[in-house]
Amino acid sequence: MHEIHVGTDLREKNRLIAEENRDLIRKNGVVSLNIMSAPGAGKTSLLVNTIPHLRDRYSIGVIEGDLQTSRDAERIAELGIAVYQIQTGGVCHLDASMVHSALHRLDLDIIDLLFIENVGNLVCPAEFDLGEDARVMLLSITEGDDKPKKYPLMFRESRLLVLNKVDLLQYVDFDIDKAKGEALDINPDIEILELSCKTGEGIDGWISWIEKFYGKCRNG
Amino acid sequence: MHEVSLMQNLLEVVTRVAAKEGCDRVRVIHVRIGEMSGINEDSLRFAFDVLSKGTVSESGALEYERVPLMTRCRGCNGEFHPNDLVFSCPVCGGMDCEIVSGREMEVDYILTDDDTGMEQGDACGCNSVE
Repeated sequence: MHEIHVGTDLREKNRLIAEENRDLIRKNGVVSLNIMSAPGAGKTSLLVNTIPHLRDRYSIGVIEGDLQTSRDAERIAELGIAVYQIQTGGVCHLDASMVHSALHRLDLDIIDLLFIENVGNLVCPAEFDLGEDARVMLLSITEGDDKPKKYPLMFRESRLLVLNKVDLLQYVDFDIDKAKGEALDINPDIEILELSCKTGEGIDGWISWIEKFYGKCRNG
Repeated sequence: MHEVSLMQNLLEVVTRVAAKEGCDRVRVIHVRIGEMSGINEDSLRFAFDVLSKGTVSESGALEYERVPLMTRCRGCNGEFHPNDLVFSCPVCGGMDCEIVSGREMEVDYILTDDDTGMEQGDACGCNSVE
């Protein structure tokens, strides 16, 4: 038989489009965060609780990824924020080309901060560079403290880990030190915040993290 | 969980390479998949069986090579396999480690019939000599 060397990375196509997205985002002076988590961890709730604290100082845009519905986008639109809904039609993650189309439909000129809410899934979104400035992973404590070791790539790829629903800590067997320790074993550089979208506890820490990150991106 | 979309990319790549080489049937597709790629072999094979129908890869075999996760310590340059996903160097204890392998998702090579890619008449000169 005849051997033909190929040597093609199957993520190459996504990587090239992600680079285009990154150029487009930077050229327009936008700072972007890709928010990833399992379904039900509270991604949309986090955004709904974040936007009111930032909207006076930043012009905000949101890209919502969802399998079928536009419920999340409707929750964001109620706040009067520019939102573009991507329905992936069953695809379990956002990829760079989906985000590329969304970027062309948003008025990037006037947006300072762009949140990209990924499809709820702890596996696949970690593999797809969207061209974002940073990846933020949300883990709700009701999911269990074993998640870092079970879904290592997600923790490896994220700059920030946000532990949500900490108001429920007394009701569930979630060892917060164990979860943090294992996340740090996998990614020693990961930053970790704790908060509750329900009570508002810890939201101020998250807001200052965003402001600091925004400053760092804009000032190089 | 994204094995289907990856397989679509894979088949596109193989079809393109095969067309360039003038080959209408691919015998073997050798892929290298990293231990930390999140790819499930069974799902990838299932996607191959379903999606390869009607393509040059249809009657081919998917060869799956699993690439172990290896990291390099930026402190002492030592390479190691992170046991239990703890990314700390077993030699110097450093935590600043980069992944050197284990994230692969690539088509390494394909095998085709011997006469692929040869100009007509080049395959064997016997008949014309006679």
